[in-house]
Amino acid sequence: MSPHRPVVIDPTVAGRTVPGVDRAPLTGVAGGPLAEVGQAPRLLAVSALRELRGQADGTPPGAEVFRRAARLFTEATLDGETPAEYTRRVTLGTGLTARTVRRSAAEIAAEMADLTAVARAELPGTDFGPGRRTRWVPRGRLFAAVLASNHPTPNSSWLQALFHGYSVLVRPGSRDPFTPRRLIAALLAAGLSPHTVAFLPCAHAVGEFLLKEADRGIVYGGDRAVAPWLDNETVAVRGPGRAKALLDVEPDDAVLGHLVESAAFDGGTRCTNLSAVLTTGPVGELADRLASRLSALPALPASDPKASLLVLERGRAEQLEHQIAALRETLDDHTARFDRHDPFVRLADGSFLPRPLVLSADRADHPALGTELPFPFVVVAPWREEDGIAPLRRSLVLNLLTPRRDLVGRALLEPSIRKVTTGTALPWTSAPGIPHDGSYTQFLLEPKGLVGDGAS
Amino acid sequence: MTTEFDSHVRRMVAWHFDPDTGSPFWLERRPGLGFDPVRDVSTARDLLRFPDVSEELRTVPVTDLVPRGLRERPFRVFESGGTTGTPKRIVDSEARGRMLAWARDRLTDLGVPAAGHWLHLGPSGPHVVGSDVARHAAMGGGVFHTVDFDPRWVKRLVGGGRGALADEYVEHLLDQAATVLHSQEISVLNTTPPVLEAICARPALHDLVRSRVKAVLWGGMSADQETIRLLEEEFFPQAVVAGVYGNSLMGVAPQRVPRPGDSHRCVFEPHPGTTLVQLMDEEGAEVAYGERGRVRLHLVTEEMFLPNVAERDTAIRVEPVPGASTDGLADIRTLPSLGRSEIIEGVY
Repeated sequence: MSPHRPVVIDPTVAGRTVPGVDRAPLTGVAGGPLAEVGQAPRLLAVSALRELRGQADGTPPGAEVFRRAARLFTEATLDGETPAEYTRRVTLGTGLTARTVRRSAAEIAAEMADLTAVARAELPGTDFGPGRRTRWVPRGRLFAAVLASNHPTPNSSWLQALFHGYSVLVRPGSRDPFTPRRLIAALLAAGLSPHTVAFLPCAHAVGEFLLKEADRGIVYGGDRAVAPWLDNETVAVRGPGRAKALLDVEPDDAVLGHLVESAAFDGGTRCTNLSAVLTTGPVGELADRLASRLSALPALPASDPKASLLVLERGRAEQLEHQIAALRETLDDHTARFDRHDPFVRLADGSFLPRPLVLSADRADHPALGTELPFPFVVVAPWREEDGIAPLRRSLVLNLLTPRRDLVGRALLEPSIRKVTTGTALPWTSAPGIPHDGSYTQFLLEPKGLVGDGAS
Repeated sequence: MTTEFDSHVRRMVAWHFDPDTGSPFWLERRPGLGFDPVRDVSTARDLLRFPDVSEELRTVPVTDLVPRGLRERPFRVFESGGTTGTPKRIVDSEARGRMLAWARDRLTDLGVPAAGHWLHLGPSGPHVVGSDVARHAAMGGGVFHTVDFDPRWVKRLVGGGRGALADEYVEHLLDQAATVLHSQEISVLNTTPPVLEAICARPALHDLVRSRVKAVLWGGMSADQETIRLLEEEFFPQAVVAGVYGNSLMGVAPQRVPRPGDSHRCVFEPHPGTTLVQLMDEEGAEVAYGERGRVRLHLVTEEMFLPNVAERDTAIRVEPVPGASTDGLADIRTLPSLGRSEIIEGVY
């Protein structure tokens, strides 16, 4: 018998738990029951929207609430959950390594503690002379976040909305209800007004309803989940990142190490993890060298301190296996020669570990280029000068390893390339003010003029 | 327990399998049954021996369904929702009207106004519910208001990934409802859970309904326990909120009056005179009280004989109220999929 009983997680609205809802079991990656998650029906979403909207006045909760909550999130026992138990649950729910979960929690807390800096860096000056000011205010009252479970850090999106004065409705990813639940518990304990937040695990259709009804929102997910929102100006879309690198230099050890880390950091689960490399050199040789390095990563259960790769439960592993089999039909597999493991390793705890995979294509416009899978997965393809910028399009991050300086400018002018890194800067390298995908603060806020002797 | 129903079953089986009074549909099938229904069927339990012929209701000429003994009566044809593909057809002349008179008493027991005008925001046309609601209004001397409402179009939109268009269609229905409510006195609103959700999501319309309507009836689709609670306590606290389970085949099973100690907020009871609903486990045995089973329906009237129909719903079996013999049904759910065609639930 496991010493851990499945935790019951119910929706909360304005600080109240709603216990009467249908619950769905959440099975951990090792196959055991992890949680019973209450599913908010649509009418509860209607009710939550109504209640939050009725009380929302746009006043920000104050930075101090977030600073206190950041500390509680990483250190306190909240709703009976210790930080260690939180890590265990997210690890079993998502298959992320315990190390990744702890690091993500620290990252979220660090950002939370300094949201003022993020906002300041993303907003222009507001002083336009004596009696001439702008003030940046929320573009609406309600914000909806439809999250995925690939990584905990996207939770910072709704934290920012809350920080700026939105009331927030969070639909957690189905495999990680734990992170937003704990963040909300920390915020309430830190003094957040309960009527500014609702936690609504629910069916995807109800999540879509929240996005439709809220004034602003964000949606994370695969192509299908985000497709309806692509041209919707009130919803920020975070789909597959399809991060790419253009390798136009002789790859030495440092460059190869950089590419491997870009692909495999956090188990390849970030949207900024490298998905494709286009190269001016020999494709097969580069693919072999990447495969050889990636095959050295150990196959360990997610809870192991030395683990670095994502694990999955059986169902998702099987699904992924089919997807990969289809890709292998048109691409060359370079991993099989170097990796002594099966492509899907069945671990002692019952979880499945997909091995890092390097495939190669024979042309730059191969349709599989940009395929994003939730583990270290790279497609290597040839690139020639005459291919131009086209194969590099649709990239959350484009890493340019090239002496062609003009490409940097051209890449930045390409609307579907959202960030450019050069040399061996890692794709997620950032600082307040460096946008992830456009100015998120300006998506949340808009400037208003304040002119006259009241402007100061 | 069901002796009265048993004798009703015997009478009706004799009627439907008599060459002078039975329907061509059943008379044709009699030789293939493998038993003699008139001799071998003596209790409701024996209804389980009949094959489930409901699939054939999708294609059989409806005139074959009319019992020869009732050829002089005028019949109407009604169709099922069409959620699981081609609709099933039934014929009706007077039997449904008798069931509705019974249902009316059940609803007034719950506090639904006996008189007053009705607004039906649901299917009409070939769907029986529109005609049912019109008759309810008429029985109380009230006026029947409605809008054109095509649930199959909505299902087609949802099934084709055009949910936004389906939403727009619902908004179009609600605009028309608002027009009616603004100038007409409406006591009873009859609609579906998704339409109620859409009403609640429009504050002005919700206020309008709340200020006018004395009873909100929902049906046609299932509603989970929390949704029922929200409808009753939060969105329409001043009105009687009552569910009516049913469909073209089985007829109506209104919510019964709640009793102390009920396990569910809403317990449905089918019409005891003509309808037997059993909840079966996967082996085909009836589940115990408090357990969930799949709905198996037997409709036995002089107009239609529909034994042993496996429905797409499951429910919790609830003990009969003292003095009654009819099981209650609670927390209805639709099975995720049946056979090849996936069930698409729309707004009805």
